[in-house]
Amino acid sequence: MQLTGTHKFNASATKIWSKLMDTDTLARITPGVSKLEEIGQDQYKAIAEVKMGPVSGSFSGNLNVLDKQEPRSFVLNIKQSSKIGNVAADVKIELQSISEHETDLSFDGKANMSGLLARTGQRVMSGVANTLSKQFFKALEEELASQEG
Amino acid sequence: MTNYIGKAVKRVEDKRFITGKGRYTDDIVLPGMTHAYIVRSPYAHARILSVDTSAAEAMEGVVKVFTGKDIAESGINGIPTGWQVNFKNGDTMKEPPHPLLVSDKARYMGDAVAVVIAESREIARDAGDRVEVEYEELPAVADAKKATEAGAPLVHDDAPNNLCFDWELGNPKAEVNEAMSKAHHITTLEFVNQRVIPNAIEPRSAIGHFEESSDKYTLYTTSQNPHLTRLLMCAFVLGIPEHKVRVVAPDVGGGFGSKIFHYAEEALVIWCSQRLKRPVKWTADRSEAFMTDAHGRDHVSKAEMGFDQNGKIVGLRVKTYANLGAYLSTFAPCVPTWLHGTLLQGLYTTPKINVDVTGVFTHTVMVDAYRGAGRPEATYLLERLMDTAALEMKMDPVELRRKNFIPAFDGVTQPGYQTQVALQYDSGNYHGVLDRALEMVGYEKFRKEQEQARKDGKLLGIGFSTYIEACGIAPSAVVGALGARAGLYEVGQVRVQPTGKVSVYTGSHSHGQGHETTFAQVVADRLGIPMDDVEIIHGDSESVAFGMGTYGSRSLAVGGSAIVKSLDKIIEKGAKIAAHKLEASEEDLEFAEGKWTVKGTDKSVGFGDVALTAYVPHNYPAGLEPGLDFSSFYDPANFTYPFGAHVAIVEVDQETGKVRLKRFIAVDDVGNVINPMIVDGQIHGGLAQGIGQALLEGAVYDENGQLINGSYMDYTMPRADDLPSFEIDRQVTPCPHNPLGVKGAGEAGTIGSTPAVVNAVMDALSPFGIKNLEMPLTPERVWRAMNS
Repeated sequence: MQLTGTHKFNASATKIWSKLMDTDTLARITPGVSKLEEIGQDQYKAIAEVKMGPVSGSFSGNLNVLDKQEPRSFVLNIKQSSKIGNVAADVKIELQSISEHETDLSFDGKANMSGLLARTGQRVMSGVANTLSKQFFKALEEELASQEG
Repeated sequence: MTNYIGKAVKRVEDKRFITGKGRYTDDIVLPGMTHAYIVRSPYAHARILSVDTSAAEAMEGVVKVFTGKDIAESGINGIPTGWQVNFKNGDTMKEPPHPLLVSDKARYMGDAVAVVIAESREIARDAGDRVEVEYEELPAVADAKKATEAGAPLVHDDAPNNLCFDWELGNPKAEVNEAMSKAHHITTLEFVNQRVIPNAIEPRSAIGHFEESSDKYTLYTTSQNPHLTRLLMCAFVLGIPEHKVRVVAPDVGGGFGSKIFHYAEEALVIWCSQRLKRPVKWTADRSEAFMTDAHGRDHVSKAEMGFDQNGKIVGLRVKTYANLGAYLSTFAPCVPTWLHGTLLQGLYTTPKINVDVTGVFTHTVMVDAYRGAGRPEATYLLERLMDTAALEMKMDPVELRRKNFIPAFDGVTQPGYQTQVALQYDSGNYHGVLDRALEMVGYEKFRKEQEQARKDGKLLGIGFSTYIEACGIAPSAVVGALGARAGLYEVGQVRVQPTGKVSVYTGSHSHGQGHETTFAQVVADRLGIPMDDVEIIHGDSESVAFGMGTYGSRSLAVGGSAIVKSLDKIIEKGAKIAAHKLEASEEDLEFAEGKWTVKGTDKSVGFGDVALTAYVPHNYPAGLEPGLDFSSFYDPANFTYPFGAHVAIVEVDQETGKVRLKRFIAVDDVGNVINPMIVDGQIHGGLAQGIGQALLEGAVYDENGQLINGSYMDYTMPRADDLPSFEIDRQVTPCPHNPLGVKGAGEAGTIGSTPAVVNAVMDALSPFGIKNLEMPLTPERVWRAMNS
């Protein structure tokens, strides 16, 4: 499944970057994530509860941040497993400065699913991914706004 | 009182089915029974790094968890295949092991890794979630053609390029190429005969019951083929003496082929029960059925048919890649070869045919026989070629067929027809079924309507399919020469009870076909007794001597013939007893209406009287054994060859691409008919499944080998509102070589219907210059074709 999206934030690329690299903030704003623990340099352990249409499950696994080009881009490598199937994804996240207070965040990647998730969840997946990324962007927006306020 | 044959007798078994009193494997509850849940690989291809069962085994109610390592250490064998097909150079096909639980690698999504045995199904399932399996995911390949390409991931290390076999049949390639080189026109089609999922209404289930006291095993299973399952499981997998094992297939809720095979779960529950000394039940849920029941079809073919300037076929060349899945299921190697290549003569006088088939392993669930098996693929290929050729040569598809039909022959006064692809057809009248179908369609009138519809901007199309199939499977010597590892005869025992009631034991198993009615009609008719006096017993290896099961439309042609053989013996012995009682000579007696009568007199003795005398032999012919009980093996002399003409009329919605099947006409010749209502029902069911493949169904694997439409949300089964009211009729050309003159009707509907529907859609779309679209013809696919 292709994962793509873009969103314009009223903040500088540096500011967004610092939020994205902060474990506590990320754990707070990422939908479904109940636990995010730093286990090494750019390595995290994550636990998430996700409901996707007909299937729901508790996911656990690792997140790795690769190829960091501060504050421009990084690659998020995700490996999550659950009893309903596993997800593996590589997503490139790019921050493009439009001005000092405006930044385009775009992501582009591919997720592979297996098991029950693939068998019965596939067709609702892109819809779910869209919803989750919208929730994430909104939460990030609020986070950025609250910092300013 | 008699004359049941040919009457639409209501099915006696339906009383229990429609009142919820059927007894299926999952209904069986044994004292002390445990429940199994199988932990399956979520990956299509993965190395198993570790399996940790400790958390699962610690759960209350969990009896035991077994893994692939336990199976490997026990030294038992894997699941065998029942057919051998070799490489062209004579090398034996690749036959990699198929362990009950895998320990090294998972080779398809759903491959069994561990089994949890618990006090309840729910506990087993919950515990299954706590079995921690560490996988290393490996690249997978699901597409048969891609699997043969250099660098494709290997399913089995000892099968280079994922080849199981490469095989050919027919005339030498050079001869066919020569004939094709002289062709005036060659029609070429490349297509996929997509993978379909059988979806029996009853998911598979098995109970293993080892009884320590008697050292005996009972397997209850959802099988079309209980005796063969016993043979394969005992002799090839578990090494248990066959006389210690009873296999029972009680009521079985559909199979269409998918329950012929010996599945790993059957041997697994027996093995677990032996270890635990308790009964073990496993029942698939629907999701498991989607991913582990053997699928059907999945061929990628290139087919070329050459014609002379008059439209006579001069040659046929076919190359097929057949997906076999990750392991070889029971009939898998035979389906794309001997059940496919041999049918490429079709109804036509094609003088030169060569078919070349490559059998390929992929990281997908096993592919094996599914309703029609091999023959639908052959028919699809031929009939699509015929309608496409007609379009290309600007001929009427009906005329093109008529030019090429094999002339009628009855197989009695005229010999059978020897094909270029091994078979000899028994009897046929192909013009007859087509003529009748055209009459029902109102062909000329339809073509006028179509012309008008096109002017009005409506996309109306008609499609034809004139098919033949090889049923009544099968003469043992013939199939033995073709690689079968078993004989394919059938067993029928007729036991007349002292009171004249009759118990009939058949090795052919009913999983919806209505044996208990059709077979009883035959027996009651022959013996001249009421049907109520006849009981048909099947599906239990302890009561039925032996059997080869139900598939390939063989039950009546082979199983019924075995019963008839025993009935003949009953009547012959009965005559001796009757002659003694009547103080007449046997030659002076005739048997009719359930009694033996001295010809030309009113002196007679009834069937019941003779039966009683056989069991109370106080006044009895000297030297004659008491009793009235005979068992017979019937090995058919040939396959049977049902055929027919199917016509579909469709309208395509130009705005949405939706295909509406407006009419479906089927004229089938299945030989003599015992119960027309049951035959109608089987034709209807077959048509629904064939039409389903044309318009709706298709398993989809993604590039990682994940089955992504493994539920009813995404896999579209045909439903009543997808189908028109079928218009069906029959022609009768009796089978010349079995006593009932029957040919078989179970698969006809599926085999004939699919290409008729696709041909009709192509006809409707011909104004767009579209010649071929892959099935299923979903609105999206049709719409895109019209808009590109």
